[in-house]
Amino acid sequence: MRKSRWIGVGLTVSALVLSGCSAGPAGTNVAQDTKAPLELWTRTTPGGAGEQATKRLAEAFEKASGFKVQVTAIFDDFETKLAQRAAQRDLPDIVMNDVTQVGTLKSQGLVREIEQGKIKHAAELTEQALKSNQTPDGKLYGLPYSAQASALLIRKDWREKLGKSVPQSWPELVDLAKAFTTGDPDGNGKNDTAGLNATLSTKRGYASWYFSNFLWAAGGDFITEAGGGKYKPSMSTPESAAAVQWFRDLGCKDNVIQPGSVTMPTPATNETFEAGKAGMYVVGPYLLPRFDKALGKDKYEVVPMPKGAKNADVLAEGLSIYMMAGSPNQAGQDAFGDFAISADGQKIGMEGETAFIVQLPVNKNVDIAQVRPDPRWKTYAEIYAKSGHYAPSIPNWTPVRQDTADTVSALIADCKLDTKAELAKLDTKLTATLQQQGISAS
Amino acid sequence: MTVDHAKPAAVGADRPATERAPAPKARRRSDRDGKWWTPWLFLAPALILFVYFKFIPMITAVTMSFQDVQPYLGNQWVGGQNYGTVLGDEAFHSAIWHTVIIAVGQTVGSMVIGLALALLMEGQSKRLKFLRSAAFLPVVVPIAVVAELWRIMYHPTEDGMLNSILGLAGLGPSGFINDPDTSMVSVIVTGIWRGAPYDMMIFLAGLAGIDRGLYEAATVDGASRWRKILHVTLPGLRSVFSILFVLAAIRGLRVFTEVFLLTNGGPNGSTEVAMTLIYKLGLEQNRLGVGAAGAVLLFLATLVLTLFVQVLRRRRDA
Repeated sequence: MRKSRWIGVGLTVSALVLSGCSAGPAGTNVAQDTKAPLELWTRTTPGGAGEQATKRLAEAFEKASGFKVQVTAIFDDFETKLAQRAAQRDLPDIVMNDVTQVGTLKSQGLVREIEQGKIKHAAELTEQALKSNQTPDGKLYGLPYSAQASALLIRKDWREKLGKSVPQSWPELVDLAKAFTTGDPDGNGKNDTAGLNATLSTKRGYASWYFSNFLWAAGGDFITEAGGGKYKPSMSTPESAAAVQWFRDLGCKDNVIQPGSVTMPTPATNETFEAGKAGMYVVGPYLLPRFDKALGKDKYEVVPMPKGAKNADVLAEGLSIYMMAGSPNQAGQDAFGDFAISADGQKIGMEGETAFIVQLPVNKNVDIAQVRPDPRWKTYAEIYAKSGHYAPSIPNWTPVRQDTADTVSALIADCKLDTKAELAKLDTKLTATLQQQGISAS
Repeated sequence: MTVDHAKPAAVGADRPATERAPAPKARRRSDRDGKWWTPWLFLAPALILFVYFKFIPMITAVTMSFQDVQPYLGNQWVGGQNYGTVLGDEAFHSAIWHTVIIAVGQTVGSMVIGLALALLMEGQSKRLKFLRSAAFLPVVVPIAVVAELWRIMYHPTEDGMLNSILGLAGLGPSGFINDPDTSMVSVIVTGIWRGAPYDMMIFLAGLAGIDRGLYEAATVDGASRWRKILHVTLPGLRSVFSILFVLAAIRGLRVFTEVFLLTNGGPNGSTEVAMTLIYKLGLEQNRLGVGAAGAVLLFLATLVLTLFVQVLRRRRDA
């Protein structure tokens, strides 16, 4: 064999050995160094207000504790980039992201358990927020630092122009949506406005996210706990099917959802509302500063979602601090988490008109009415406390959200589809997903 | 031939035949090629980068395809289970079918329009140079911008850009990427818009290599313009066609960004392709082993296609 070929063989073998060497577990028993700077990733737009607020919180923490923190803001494909770092076995020390990630991160071994005894301010957390971060075994794998729930944003100027009142029931909601669609509420003489603004893209499972605001209020559910930590799919139950049909009619019969919704992720949907192309939007409070700037505070109002067939439950979400596995500075991780959930940390996170990362406080000792006198925030806080509905903590919520988003988006995109058949197919997929996660009741 | 290369033969001519044969061969090789490792030295920087950023990840992906990948808990060897999951998944079958449709649609569309553009823009005129540059612009525009541009153009209401044009012809409005019946065609059209100018440039290079004498002979024989294209141009571009076919087919099979940004595989999975499904399985659902198995299968399909075209080409040339 020629020497050149031997070199080729050598390189291939080296590559195989290298890839083989990197297959073992890592991240446990890492040598600890309290001087090691903490790499913090937060899911927010780089260079935006969220990044500024996170940096402000990090600086205050550095002053108070002496630990060093490096903040990195990432918005697009955050989970993908995190998965890539996990594959390289080089995770950031702290991640600030949605609470629904807790199951996925725990089942992948990417986060370590948080010992509540080491977090002295954990006792001040609201039960609702704390519970959302616990896995079914009662252990804590994330530390809540912000909470939120959805409210209904209505173009007040449009509603008043058309002489309509704030909807108190779902039929009234449909009536107002129809009026916004056909009544030329912006007065430009064109039929170019929609009643309801909805994020129905399948990206990140947005359609499922949005639809949950209607599903739970109708008494339906994506999956239902069947006891013993086991779940069964429930998108075919009469309540869920009725919720799907009602929502589908908005798009297929009444035509009140904005055109192009099925391919719109959140940025595009937000633009539609602020461009005056849609009159109602069910969304969290984090967009208020943006819409205040684009539309003006006086142009829209924030009200609770009208009650559905069962209740007025809406999607509750939270943001959590995750202590990532393999960190050489676990003391620093704990200290940061403790600082962020303390009353002082929460107030720093809530500072400012636009640059804040705490929506609703999770610390019982912080009164939102005092920190933010704007009554709209109190509305959000009341909705969260009374009607906030979190997604269940299962090992991996992402496939459930993705599967349901695919079906909801499809049913709006293709009005020829048979709702019953599609929901039955969805339940079959959900069963497979639950079985794969070892939590299927069937 | 250089003077150095000529020397050994001249010197060797005076020696006995038994000594003559090996000496010039060895010297010639040494003089011309230097040490055996010289080319490797020049290749080393690129090779090192390729090994670490391409080949090791590729081999790692193959390893991962046989594992339940959990980097911080320890990967578990699962044999062919991931391949079984992927191959038994209905969504994967649909995604492969959609990938083939997009690959064929974009390949044929880009080649036909690329050839037409090349035939229209062949020549030395300065105006043509400007037009060629303008036509080439879609290739240099980042794909994310292209996708956003087309998403706006595909706005599904009457006042959407393309729908206004359809309206002039009394058609539409079409849902384009928002309607499962038209989403696939919309994605293909976007791909053709981006790929055709690239093909055009390759065709232009191929056209420049065709012997002009053949055209003159065809003119003398009274051949029409169409016959010249059919009997002179197209046979002259045979090698260009096969190169473009391979390039375009690989590009088609690996289609991702425009689909991801335009439709994310929707609506109702109507544009789900292999790459978007692999992305969802591997990186969104954290099932890296299953995603890797899908990626290996796609790689093998691409490899088989490339080899098939090469074999076909060699047979024809022979």
